[in-house]
Amino acid sequence: MKMTKIYEGTHQWVMFGRDENKPDNIVDSNQYIIRTPNKCLLLQPGGTELFAPMMAAVLHHAPVDQITDLFASHQDPDVISSLGLWDQALSNAKLHAPALWEGYIRHFGCESIEYVPIPDNGETIKIESVELQLIPAHYLHSPCGFHVYDPVAKILMCGSVGSAFEAPNAPVFVERFDVHVEKMRYYHQRMMPSNQAKRAWIDKVRNLDIDILAPQHGRIFKGDDVKRFLDWFDSLQVGTGI
Amino acid sequence: MNSQTKSQFIAVASITSELSAVMVVAKEISLAAANAKAIAFRAGDKAKGFQPITDFINELAKETIELVTNINVYALLLYRLTVNEYRRTEAYNRFEKVGKLAAGAAYADSMKEPIATARTMMQDCQRQFKRDVTQLLGQLEAVMHHARAARVIAANSRIEASQAGEYLQSLQAVAESVDKAAHTIHDNVQRCRIALSIYRNS
Repeated sequence: MKMTKIYEGTHQWVMFGRDENKPDNIVDSNQYIIRTPNKCLLLQPGGTELFAPMMAAVLHHAPVDQITDLFASHQDPDVISSLGLWDQALSNAKLHAPALWEGYIRHFGCESIEYVPIPDNGETIKIESVELQLIPAHYLHSPCGFHVYDPVAKILMCGSVGSAFEAPNAPVFVERFDVHVEKMRYYHQRMMPSNQAKRAWIDKVRNLDIDILAPQHGRIFKGDDVKRFLDWFDSLQVGTGI
Repeated sequence: MNSQTKSQFIAVASITSELSAVMVVAKEISLAAANAKAIAFRAGDKAKGFQPITDFINELAKETIELVTNINVYALLLYRLTVNEYRRTEAYNRFEKVGKLAAGAAYADSMKEPIATARTMMQDCQRQFKRDVTQLLGQLEAVMHHARAARVIAANSRIEASQAGEYLQSLQAVAESVDKAAHTIHDNVQRCRIALSIYRNS
């Protein structure tokens, strides 16, 4: 499992992904942690198949008893099907996940972890001194989803938005936006159901100060590529699967 | 899922299936008892010996239904335990893998406690499963006992039926249906016992 520190300040952001031992027939996904002095928030914990390499990778940054919070943007198995295993490993943790999906996500096993439902209009959570905004991203692609914005690190973990599927050895960051566009086009047109939802999200996100856009699959956008992505997404017609 | 776990799931699931067939047959015996009672009543003195037998048949059917209902509840608990054991075993195996993959990580040692806890919980589940299977086998034995008793009653019924004159055929049919039902119950319960016996406490 590849580990890349994408922010270092009063707290840290680390991205995990490109697992070279991942079975070929499951999608690659990016996991993230936000590490504060005594706590660790795990964003998009991942699927069951990725649990062991992911947990082993996290142990380079935090001990088990400091993994206190998990976040799932939506209900998909590649986001959170490992929950039943985290549930047995962590003795004092909370899962921040959409209220709408609670009854569904609990199918993955959630007995000892406290499910903290995120209301439809989002909320702010605090991990020690770090305040994080959970921004609604409904119908992008899930009917109920949230992205995580860190105003200090200026990072938006944007879930499925910005996703692309690449080879396991692909670089972590977008290098040539014009080339990367073709890797994202079909996914966004096919998986995102609503132009209206897309426009509402873009309007909201344009008002945020963002250095890094960190999606759940594929490469991360930074600097000018953030604006390039928003402009490209804005002009893209989605919901083409009908 | 390994083949032993698969067999365990199949064994537990098959109990419910076999017992639902037993339940149908037990209800048929109950119906046969009611039928026999009516015939014996009409036959009067000719079937005097048959009358108390019908009460026995009915009682036996009721007890079997009650036993099977209780076993079904127990079988459901056993199924849940099987799911739990599968989850615990799965977690333990993956935690062990984490321990190996994390060798050299700064906080690798913090995984020792979750691994130890997962191992204990998995072993607890395995022990509990064996205990519960042993208990369930005892309950199934009680149903077998009822099936054997039903066959004895069926044999007595045939003897009594032979003295019932023109009612002989009707009462013999009752005895036959009780005997057939007892056979079916015996065979189905025996299949449950065979499927489960490999998991019992030695």
